[in-house]
Amino acid sequence: MTPAPAPHVLLDSRRVLVCVGTGGVGKTTISAALGLSAARRGRRVLVLTIDPAKRLADALGIRELGNEPQTLPRDVLDRLGVPPEGELSAMMLDMKRTFDDLVERFAESPEARDRILGNPIYQHVSDALAGSAEYSAMEKVYELAEQKDFDLIVLDTPPSQHALDFLEAPERLLGFLDSRVVQLLLHPAFAAGRMGFRLFQRGAQRVLRTLEKVSGVGFLQDISEFLLAFEGMSEGFRDRAHRVQALLFGPETAFLLAAGPARESVRHAESFLERLESGRAGVAGIVVNRMHLWPDAGLEPGDGADAAALEKLAEAFALSEGAGFDARAAAEATRAALRGYAALVERDAENVAPLRERARASGYFWRCVPLLDRDVHDLDGLAHVASLVLGEAERETP
Amino acid sequence: MPLPLPRRGLLERRLVIVTGKGGTGKTSVVAALARAAAQAGRRVLVAETGREEHVPRLLDPATPPVGYAGRELQPGLTAMRIDPFEALAEYLSLQLPVRGLVSRVLRNPGFRQLMEAAPGWRELITLGKVWHMAQGRRPGGAPEFDLLLVDAPATGHGLTFLDVPRVVSSAVRAGPLRRNASLVQQMITDPDSTLLLPVALAEELPARETAELVQRLREEVGVAVDRVVVNAVTPPPFPPGLEDLDERLARLPAELHVPGLPGPRTLARCAAHLRSRHRLNAHYVGAIEAWTGLPICTLPLLPQGVRGPEDLDRLGTALLEPAAAEAA
Repeated sequence: MTPAPAPHVLLDSRRVLVCVGTGGVGKTTISAALGLSAARRGRRVLVLTIDPAKRLADALGIRELGNEPQTLPRDVLDRLGVPPEGELSAMMLDMKRTFDDLVERFAESPEARDRILGNPIYQHVSDALAGSAEYSAMEKVYELAEQKDFDLIVLDTPPSQHALDFLEAPERLLGFLDSRVVQLLLHPAFAAGRMGFRLFQRGAQRVLRTLEKVSGVGFLQDISEFLLAFEGMSEGFRDRAHRVQALLFGPETAFLLAAGPARESVRHAESFLERLESGRAGVAGIVVNRMHLWPDAGLEPGDGADAAALEKLAEAFALSEGAGFDARAAAEATRAALRGYAALVERDAENVAPLRERARASGYFWRCVPLLDRDVHDLDGLAHVASLVLGEAERETP
Repeated sequence: MPLPLPRRGLLERRLVIVTGKGGTGKTSVVAALARAAAQAGRRVLVAETGREEHVPRLLDPATPPVGYAGRELQPGLTAMRIDPFEALAEYLSLQLPVRGLVSRVLRNPGFRQLMEAAPGWRELITLGKVWHMAQGRRPGGAPEFDLLLVDAPATGHGLTFLDVPRVVSSAVRAGPLRRNASLVQQMITDPDSTLLLPVALAEELPARETAELVQRLREEVGVAVDRVVVNAVTPPPFPPGLEDLDERLARLPAELHVPGLPGPRTLARCAAHLRSRHRLNAHYVGAIEAWTGLPICTLPLLPQGVRGPEDLDRLGTALLEPAAAEAA
């Protein structure tokens, strides 16, 4: 197995980086940090988030994220060490707008466009009901990648169990347009002529009639009209979905898995990895965020202080703090705090061991980012995380 | 002064919908509440809505999956996972007498593709099933379940989940679907019977997201919320009087060598880390209260995670303690 390239090679060579992982592990921070790293290496980068909460806006200090990329001002980029040829933009995907834009582009005629945009089913399809978000996200990534305004797009995917739906979104769109039920709704006569289709057709029509009865007059009519109006666009859609798929699973895209050190998070990460690997996604690396790490690299956490050692520590406290200070209590508290800290370090290392082993076996790069003393909510914090992800030496930020 | 928790306890509802983004420990809260409810003599149903079951394993690591049919895991505690396709099959066969036909059509790949692509129905059918389960009666007419606990999808989708009945009621003009959506809508917006319980962490982004969630709940969805659960709150790392232990460690001579312990600089950094994480934690507990205007129920950090029923009972006590304290 050829080992995956190191993170900086990915940042220099890919067009799309997809960050996947469960919620609560700081995936948006990691995505933005990777974006910043690439910009510092002289690339023009866009960080795209499709998370419903405006986290990236918080992290990047950008108040209004619309469906248009917002570029960080030059003086800010200078301060962050981004060279003149580099650039960093961010954007929060507006699902409805993206879908509307697609309809505008592919509708056969202004009448067809208005029919679709005014159809009640469409309004709810595109109205942030679960499901359409993933189509829109992949579509936008493709569009932006095609425009070539950016050298690299970093995609931050939605959290939790829906996170991998977008992988299947183009497939699902194609499957949907080709599905026999859609064909039946569109072309009952044509579909009926197909071999072996009659039985299904009779059954389906009965169920559809029941659905009509259950769902109320007009509901199925709205669906049929929606599909008919869409049909004229479906060639354009189909073609595009194929190209989106080619980009997503092609050599220009790499997937990164972000995880946290909690047992639950590691379990989720393992199942994500299985899904990614069983698809054709090119996994490149695993980043574990918010790990408790020992502050002095190379030193093992020691808490083997015996009574004599504790006595020695108490004496040192008595000397430095003077009379009236309970040096004994301070020594005890130090030992207790150290044990507490060492337990966290050991627990995290133990929890992530299976992921680490998988990374080693599959040749993925492996990075642990320590749990920091404070939250990352500004660009300097992001720059710090960026250097940790890339494994650079800690950089001084002015 | 922290806001006082509501007098009415979490167990005195028909339906509690637990929501929170991934990683907040929402599922542990569901399992802990379920155990506490069963121990208090309530007949409780836990309904999970995700693709995988988590609650049964938390209650008993050796238990086989409960599936859509559900199973009583311990006296008074039943768990199920609502799979939308199974719920749809059940719903349609209630409307259509020919069961074989329904299952044949539902198994058809074309029909499944159509349904995979269709938005909204999963949420509606899932809540419809919850409504259906709430109608169950025992012989004699008492409800089959006193309390229904729903483990809702993670926050962003969680609101969509609750908003679908309203959207359907407005999109569909007449007929049984509209009627069913209205019933579900009535159930979840009845402040007397239904409560949404957000679970958050005392960190910046989860805190902000919880504030957004509560605001949207109030403005758009209209489901009652009366407290926020803040999970994994860290205890103070040093005993009283030694709050600045890290600074004192930093004042020790750098060359001090104590056998079995790292040097003072390392000790000071560990201590400083513990102290600042705790300070941050305490700060965001206050921030969540200020941003949402809701009282906070804090749960202790379990350093090893939930290892078994004892840990769930610890969480259960913390969740219900205010009520217990008042009863005493």
